[in-house]
Amino acid sequence: MKRTLLLAMGLLITMSLFAAGPAIDYKTAGWDKIVAAAKAEGQVTFYAWYFPDYFKEAAKDFEAMYGIKANVIIGDQTANFNKAISEKDSQVGTIDVMIVGGQWVKTTTDLNLFYGPIKNIIPDAEKVAPALWEVQEGVLTKGYLAPFHRNQTGILYDPERVTNPPQTWEELVAWIKAHPKEFGFNDPSKGGSGQSFVHTVIAKTTGGLDKYKGDQELVQSKVANWDLAWKWLNENKDNMTITVSNNDSIIRMNGGEISMTVAWDDNVKDMISKGNLFKRAKMYIPKMGLAGGGDTMGVLKNAQHKAAALLWIHFIESKEQQLKKFQMVGAYPARTDMKIEGTLLTEEDRKNNAIAWFPAPYKDYMIKEFVKNVMMK
Amino acid sequence: MNKNRRVLNRILTIFFIVVQIVWVGLPILMAVLWSLVDPDHPWSFPNVFPEYLSWAQWKYVFNYTNILRALKTSYLLAPCAVLLSLLLSLPTAYVLGRKNVKGKKFFQTLVLLPIIMPGMVVALFLSRVFAAFHLTQSFFGLVLAHTLMGIPYMIRVLTASFEAIPQDIIDAAENLGANTWIKIKDILLPMVRPGLLSGIVFVFTASIEEFNLTFIIGTPTFETIPTILYSFLGYNFIRTNASVVALIMMIPNIIMLFVVERLLKSDYLSASLGKL
Repeated sequence: MKRTLLLAMGLLITMSLFAAGPAIDYKTAGWDKIVAAAKAEGQVTFYAWYFPDYFKEAAKDFEAMYGIKANVIIGDQTANFNKAISEKDSQVGTIDVMIVGGQWVKTTTDLNLFYGPIKNIIPDAEKVAPALWEVQEGVLTKGYLAPFHRNQTGILYDPERVTNPPQTWEELVAWIKAHPKEFGFNDPSKGGSGQSFVHTVIAKTTGGLDKYKGDQELVQSKVANWDLAWKWLNENKDNMTITVSNNDSIIRMNGGEISMTVAWDDNVKDMISKGNLFKRAKMYIPKMGLAGGGDTMGVLKNAQHKAAALLWIHFIESKEQQLKKFQMVGAYPARTDMKIEGTLLTEEDRKNNAIAWFPAPYKDYMIKEFVKNVMMK
Repeated sequence: MNKNRRVLNRILTIFFIVVQIVWVGLPILMAVLWSLVDPDHPWSFPNVFPEYLSWAQWKYVFNYTNILRALKTSYLLAPCAVLLSLLLSLPTAYVLGRKNVKGKKFFQTLVLLPIIMPGMVVALFLSRVFAAFHLTQSFFGLVLAHTLMGIPYMIRVLTASFEAIPQDIIDAAENLGANTWIKIKDILLPMVRPGLLSGIVFVFTASIEEFNLTFIIGTPTFETIPTILYSFLGYNFIRTNASVVALIMMIPNIIMLFVVERLLKSDYLSASLGKL
């Protein structure tokens, strides 16, 4: 009897191990094994906070191609990350893969939330925004986060009200003075386009961005003269409109409150396609330079369907999906081996006028100091 | 004197109508108009009204979000949360409203805590507790979570209703030989009915609008209407789509308010007091 019981227990343990599938090391397994493992997992749960139309279509295509169900949850950016962080210590989380925006990349990287590095696992990774694989909005991501699309901040304007948009810093300053309250940017603690503008203000008022290159930590002596930037912003605050989010700037322009604002190109395309912004809107990157970047996707460390999550990333990064995404929502592809026509910003602008962010510790400091020195004064 | 009163009544009526139009009518009208904006003809400055109207935004929400699944979950969840809140709140409110319990004021404040604390903070801490008891990703767990957020409203309203019942009526019923069951059935419950209905409305709407707890402990298995609404309202604010979801969420609530309003017209308490 005892022997039979022991045998049955042994059999049960073996069966449960078999049912769970062989544990594979994704970093060495090879792509074919990962695809097979993904199919065995059968589903993937993906969290985003925009483009529900594109992701719903992508989920259908993914299921048709691999037979794997993709549960797409479109939530709110902050809520998505709060959920991921709240589940961080659970052995198995409910999110497999999620979009990571510049706003949260530092927090999530510091918390070690993502599995990786995945750059060497995903096929054709080198064909996808090489710089974004390593650094996202000033934060070293070291191949843990896969580029999903590239976006860029620029100046958005109403051509019926702005005939000669400013290119240089001096021209912009003069324009703002000549058109009180008509230029807008959002509070940098509420969105990246406002961060990009303040980033440029710091560059122009405190002696450029070169001195911050490569710094892993904030060097206090290098930010000692940032009071010049706060002084400029305070002196001109009454002539500008500070909005509450990236989209709020665009909405205020659509409503006629402002005629020029700093915005993300993908936001603008999305707002135009949904009837939230007039089609006559124009956008460019001024010669004084504005920062750009992109959003990425990360596989959660405690993801239940890790192989399917990796396959989802590869699928979204494929040429077909990157093109479909651009056609549906106007988001600029992450792939560098594609030629795209009909973009809001010209290739020339991107090449000549897009600038890189200073390292993350400075960006963090910039946001905190802006609130303290400009918003609260 | 009568003329003055008539003028005053007219002024107050006009004031009430204007306030209602500005406070309730205009936002609903704006939501309706924004929900009908045609994507190819944006509603922009200087147009006072949209140039073209279409159902495109509604089609978008129904085609590209999980709104139908969310509607089903929301309207299954809310009645369950109302029922459970009612069962748990009635005895508590009775004790707080009619009995002299030590620390009564303290308990009355304590039950309000879940709605005083920021929703996301409650959600983050509770999610740990729910996870420990395997209540995340389950319908029962969501009912419990929504009940927790609804109970403060229900207890508060019912406590006030129980407090308002005159002791004379209960004493009179006792003198006429009413037992406990008769007192509950014919005096207490009918007299707290307006409070009960108000509590039901509060808990129902709180459940329909609850986002944080549902999102943290319910998704991806369950989605409710606010989880869809927040994707258009939060960081990525899209006014047209947000208007559609807001209207979808609002219309059943407005219907329920009218139904409750009709039920409230037969007010037992005022009727009883009128007879005294």
